[in-house]
Amino acid sequence: MAILINKKNIKLQQEASDWEDAVRQSGQLLLQNHSIDFVYINEMIQAVKTLGPYMVIVPHVALSHARPGKHVKKNDISLLTLKTPVTFGNKDNDPVSIIFSFCATENEGHLLFLQKMGNLLDDAHAMKVIQESSNLDEVDKTINC
Amino acid sequence: MKRLKILTVCGFGVGSSLVLKMKLDELLKEEKIDAHVETADVGSASSTPCDIIFTSKELSEKLTDSVSIPVVSISNFIDKNEIKQAGLAKIKELIGE
Repeated sequence: MAILINKKNIKLQQEASDWEDAVRQSGQLLLQNHSIDFVYINEMIQAVKTLGPYMVIVPHVALSHARPGKHVKKNDISLLTLKTPVTFGNKDNDPVSIIFSFCATENEGHLLFLQKMGNLLDDAHAMKVIQESSNLDEVDKTINC
Repeated sequence: MKRLKILTVCGFGVGSSLVLKMKLDELLKEEKIDAHVETADVGSASSTPCDIIFTSKELSEKLTDSVSIPVVSISNFIDKNEIKQAGLAKIKELIGE
């Protein structure tokens, strides 16, 4: 399998003060990789505020993103895991300790990586490693091999 | 029999709704049901012609008032079992099985 999440876009067992801080930190990884401009991070936060915490699509996992558009420079995805989980206000799937953030330049181009994303979310063993590990090499291998 | 059109809906129609579509496509294949699954954002969902909508709990609350078709709410988007429990009976009803 080709690389799903670039190793330098992965940060493990971080501390976040609340969901907003967590989304901001995970967006920061996309910003550092020159995949978005900072406006996109604000849009991701605004999305949760206006649309509700539906992005927590499976227990303990948020798939954070905003609309494709001019604030996105290239398709990319990041992973942030938290030492202490945060709540998004999604009563079925809170608390959240894994945040995937993605950005896409257009509506269709990222279909393949979302498909891989779906398979990853469905892989209980891989998700357990992602949730618990603080070893970057181990998580990289789990996601990208 | 006309082909059933299912809409999966999320905030922008480019993330969660695609993951839900994947799982729904798998379920339909397993159940040997021929249906077309499309994604939409919550803003355009109510004006997109379809027979049934699948979405999250939060968004279903926003949608139920603006559409007259069934809206199925799902809390775990990759839990095929939940999708099956919540929606299969309604799908079968719509296609007259």
